[in-house]
Amino acid sequence: MIGRAWVLLSMILMVAGLPVFAWAQMDHPKKNKNVDHSDHGMILDREGMVMNHNPDQLPEDCDAVSSDVQIDVRVGTKFARTGLTFGYSQHEWRVAPCSRLNITFVNEDQVRHQWMVHGLPKYLYPQGMFHLEVNGGFRKSASFIVSSDDATLLVHCDISHHMEQGLKGQIVVGGGALDIPGIPGLYAPLFPDKYP
Amino acid sequence: MKVGFLIAALACVGLGVYTVPTSILPPSLVDDYFVTFGAQPYLEAPPAIDPEIALIDMDAICPAYLRPWKAAQQIENVAVAASPDCLPDNPWEVAASVLGTNNVTPHTLMQTLFGKDTVEKFDDRDGDGDPDVITIRLEVMELNGRSPDMPDVIPQFEIAPGITPGLWVFAPKGRGMTTVNFESPVANRLVRLPAPVLRVEQGDEIRLVLENTHYLPHTIHLHGVDHPFENANGDGNDGVPIFSEQATQPGDAKTYVFTPRKAGTAFYHCHVQPQSHILMGLQGMLIVEENRPNNWVQTLNIGGGRVRAPSKAVGAIYDREYDLHYADLDEDLNDRIKRYTDPRLVSREIHRKYNIAERTEEFHTLNGRSFPYTLQESLVVVEPDERIKLRVLNGGASGVALHLHGHKSTGTHQDGVPIAAEARAQRDVFWLASAQRLDLDLNTTNDGLNSYGPGAWLMHDHKEQGITTAGMNPGGNIGVLVYGDYLDAHGLPKTVTGLDSIVPYFSPAYYRGEIPVFAGTDPDNRYGDPARPRTWSLRSILFALSILGMVVFLSLAQRAGRRGSL
Repeated sequence: MIGRAWVLLSMILMVAGLPVFAWAQMDHPKKNKNVDHSDHGMILDREGMVMNHNPDQLPEDCDAVSSDVQIDVRVGTKFARTGLTFGYSQHEWRVAPCSRLNITFVNEDQVRHQWMVHGLPKYLYPQGMFHLEVNGGFRKSASFIVSSDDATLLVHCDISHHMEQGLKGQIVVGGGALDIPGIPGLYAPLFPDKYP
Repeated sequence: MKVGFLIAALACVGLGVYTVPTSILPPSLVDDYFVTFGAQPYLEAPPAIDPEIALIDMDAICPAYLRPWKAAQQIENVAVAASPDCLPDNPWEVAASVLGTNNVTPHTLMQTLFGKDTVEKFDDRDGDGDPDVITIRLEVMELNGRSPDMPDVIPQFEIAPGITPGLWVFAPKGRGMTTVNFESPVANRLVRLPAPVLRVEQGDEIRLVLENTHYLPHTIHLHGVDHPFENANGDGNDGVPIFSEQATQPGDAKTYVFTPRKAGTAFYHCHVQPQSHILMGLQGMLIVEENRPNNWVQTLNIGGGRVRAPSKAVGAIYDREYDLHYADLDEDLNDRIKRYTDPRLVSREIHRKYNIAERTEEFHTLNGRSFPYTLQESLVVVEPDERIKLRVLNGGASGVALHLHGHKSTGTHQDGVPIAAEARAQRDVFWLASAQRLDLDLNTTNDGLNSYGPGAWLMHDHKEQGITTAGMNPGGNIGVLVYGDYLDAHGLPKTVTGLDSIVPYFSPAYYRGEIPVFAGTDPDNRYGDPARPRTWSLRSILFALSILGMVVFLSLAQRAGRRGSL
């Protein structure tokens, strides 16, 4: 009788323990006691937020990660071009199809900034986006893998008027597609100021 | 030949005199004309045009997905009062404002748009069961500003249907996008007019952090709330550029520290170029609640209005509490930010080209919006035999003559200071000068003085300009003091003529002056726009022919005379 109970208890523990084991084996972007939440691909803590971190799930059209690209982006008023308020340290990144981009985003201001990518495959990245958001004075790192298509992806900060004030860039995958207007230092906006 | 032409010309003159429209005759000749020729035939007035009123989308006005937010609910250990408004405040944001974003569970935080550090509450220094060190982080956001990427303004916030003045606001530090999503240009619910109501407890150490996310320098001045001129570390603390500190530059942050010794309704606003910045929207209510044990106050009341988690002191006396923030806007100032992106050009427009001496006010807001949007989220909902605390701020450049129909309320505090009992006045109109605050004790006892009984009673500025939007009424800061029995299933006030009567007011065309004012209550269209009259009637054609004939025959007669032909 006691032996049966032990078998039953062991089975219950195994079944209950599987999800915990699986979770422990997953590659988490940052195991930090301050991390509050990892639901819906979101990590939110006092330093900022990461959405849709993806270091290992390949897009359907990629057989393997073609290359690892380390991108260090700094952001702040010190990088602003004339007539703008904010800037990234770089506004265009060219990568090969199926690359894994490992982003470190360093905020040199004392206010919140974002490095948000749009146009990724929605089956892999909810809303087609990858998002790094960092409070003033902090840095965050995360990764994502681009698909095999030639594409030009918008990068921006969506805090009110930060994109309009200079936080706009593009990732060119392979040969790229149409360039994005209004990239500081690269392309004019569609509706530039008319200087009186 | 010539005589023949002259006779024909004379006949034309006669026809012309007979058919001349009396409307073009000098008034002195009209009687003579009538005596000579008799009355002209009756002309039917042009028919009325059916106004083009867009069909109302009730789900856009009172979205169904927000219904669960209305109920009274317990979130963690916070009792969030019911809110029947059709746009109720997010109950998790209420709870997180009470407990602090650092103290709520991840689940609660995820239901809000706050960051982890938006409101942090620490240290029960006096051991009375509530935190005594509070950090509040505010960002500076632009609404309806210029985009170099598209012709529309971004991010968008309507104060009334189709009305999107350029605005600057303090917003609670958020997370994620400022817009509701990547496909939408509309601002999320945290980024709005007015700046959030800040609610703190007397004696707490408040660290108010200004994170200047905007492209121009700003400060926060703590108007009417106890604060030292300098912080303990010697930093300026009064928010006045040059006198107390340098303005906080874009990308920088500044912490104001104060421990208010007195309770009361106060005001906070930017003090950089105040003739522009305050009136661009950088202003909000700052309320110091009386110190009580276990007093967890609702630090942020987004958009003002109903306080869903009142403080201990207010809850002990009053059944309900509402924050009412009045303001006015000058389109000429506000829309200057729609002209340029370059901060140098915007600064020149706002600070040098705008002349406040020429100020006019086209828009008047209650809690950041004008009628009919005030019906969605700024109703003062009451029940009989209650006492309601109304905290009122006028942040506009003009005074507000606040009139509550059907009630006479009592002013209890002015500018945060209690009014002596013998000096308290019970009135139906209260005047608020610019920057003034007034606390009102509204008693809904139906005794012919405090209240005339249940109803949907209008609540509005009796300076009549205040109840207009771009000159159109009803608009402006019209609100409604409404008893529960007079609310419909959506949370809108019942009207005697039904919902259809207010449909036209939700159309941008109404505030462009394109819809007749009685369109919703005039089924026979008696006061609508008449169609354009027929340009040509038989009489007018004959009159025109007579003029033409007269000219033609006279010229023929002249030509015949030159040839010598009779």
